[in-house]
Amino acid sequence: MIQLSNARKEFGRRVAVNDLSLAVPSGEIFGLLGHNGAGKSTAIGMMLGQVWPTAGAVRVCGHDVTRHRARALQKVGAIFESPAFYDYLSGWRNLEILSTYTAPTSPQRIREVLDWVGLSQREHSPVRTYSHGMRARLALAQALLPHPELLILDEPGEGLDPEGIHEIRQTVLRLHRELGLTILLSSHLLSEVEQLCTRIAVLHNGRRVFQGRLEETRRRNHWVRLQVSDFAAAVRVLESSGSISNHREGERIALRPGVETDEVVRRLVAADIAVFEIAREADSLESFYLSLMSDYRGEKGAASEPEA
Amino acid sequence: MFYLHLRNELWKLFGKKRTYIGFAMFLLAQNAMLLAFRFTKWQSDLERMLQGNGYLAEEFISALTVAVIMLVPQILLLMPLYTTLVGGDMVAKEAEDGTLRMILSRPVSRFRLLLVKWLAGAIFAVTLVLVLGAMALLFARIWFPWKGMFVFAPGHAFAILGAGEGWQRYLLAHVFMAVNATTMLSLAFMFSCCNMKPAAATILALSYLFVNLVLEAIPFFDRFEVWLLPYHFRCWLHVFNSPVPWVDVLQSQIVLVAANLTVFIIGATIFQMRDIKS
Repeated sequence: MIQLSNARKEFGRRVAVNDLSLAVPSGEIFGLLGHNGAGKSTAIGMMLGQVWPTAGAVRVCGHDVTRHRARALQKVGAIFESPAFYDYLSGWRNLEILSTYTAPTSPQRIREVLDWVGLSQREHSPVRTYSHGMRARLALAQALLPHPELLILDEPGEGLDPEGIHEIRQTVLRLHRELGLTILLSSHLLSEVEQLCTRIAVLHNGRRVFQGRLEETRRRNHWVRLQVSDFAAAVRVLESSGSISNHREGERIALRPGVETDEVVRRLVAADIAVFEIAREADSLESFYLSLMSDYRGEKGAASEPEA
Repeated sequence: MFYLHLRNELWKLFGKKRTYIGFAMFLLAQNAMLLAFRFTKWQSDLERMLQGNGYLAEEFISALTVAVIMLVPQILLLMPLYTTLVGGDMVAKEAEDGTLRMILSRPVSRFRLLLVKWLAGAIFAVTLVLVLGAMALLFARIWFPWKGMFVFAPGHAFAILGAGEGWQRYLLAHVFMAVNATTMLSLAFMFSCCNMKPAAATILALSYLFVNLVLEAIPFFDRFEVWLLPYHFRCWLHVFNSPVPWVDVLQSQIVLVAANLTVFIIGATIFQMRDIKS
């Protein structure tokens, strides 16, 4: 559904997206993760033909966005963080305006979508009187009007309260289940991505550092929490025996493939280092993400990209 | 689809309160000027001038004469302000608010979007001029009779016309004033296509117009005045002369239409190349 091939974007001297290749298969809920400034919004801008790539190709729904933007975006809906509307006009009028940029839309279709998102009582009130949640629903309505096959959500939970975030999460699942949409979700909220997405990609400084199914992130976790009498000495012992590949925060070690915790304990005890606690990190997306970021911070990480 | 897109832009433009600032200010300014004209020595000065040229003052102190007298300062000072205010908003305000990003996530071409925006702006400019002219005449008519017309603009027009012919010339002048207003709006619109705040686009357009005015006032630039926009903006005054200098008027109109086209193409090129980001 979306295909980025070696896409690159430079803003002056700053490289926002660097050699990014990404594939979002049809029918998936795809999560795009990354720190602030990682290049998520720039990548989405390129997918929507709002940001021109410096190099590489971007294809959406089988069409090159740079050359055939109109064809590529015919079946695409998008929602951005803090959705913007013409606040002085009614919700209905906003929908009329925004929908005609794709195709003429009948009042019946607008009513149908308003009912679907649960905004049918206030459609003729000015948008400035809407709550944050109502604006989010209006944003969803405008995205759904052109019968999209692909929905791009750029930080949709930004600024919402826990109830609003829960509502968005339920709506995304409903969209996927009832309308069969392919959804690209960019978010900071790892728990949200974990609950919604079937596949993810992680960006770091404009580069893709991981792409794969969510289950893979659970298998990849290799961080172990270790409490010992002397952490620095323990790291020296384990590094000299080739048992660990990394360490951080004075209490976490990354085991090399094939190394298990019992072997670590044996080596430490043999070196006369007291072991108080050793446990594998919980297999959450958060721990995977943090370890990935840790790997990629500094030159050490840059040398070994564990891309799928 | 083109009609629907144009309709969208008109809804957006005329749905905003700030679009009407110009109309409201013209209303206030005209009534203030009428009161001044009626109750100060402004009127007696005009009578003296007419009588000094051998005309009966009471025949030409009329609604049409007063309407034109009111139009001159408003066209010179207020019209640039309100047209550039709206022109500067048209793209830059949408970019600033984030609605431009919402629109450009849809399969509409940037050129199409810009064209309908400019057309909506031109409709605003024409409407502003027509309302300005109609209000000037209407309010002047409340205080002054419907008689012959006297127009005096040093170096541009000196005309004594009957009521019927004066009315026709008054209408014709508005066609050219509408072109002036559209050109001012187009200038601000071009700046609005760049990555800048709406106020910056308005200020840049106003600065350009004022620099033109200042240059025109410097004697050295007399020979270059045809290169400056205000020279061509004043062609609306020439239509009151008898005979109407059609060649000069037409030349000025061609220059203004070319200026509109040029700034639109520059604006469209900048807008096409721009990255739209939050």
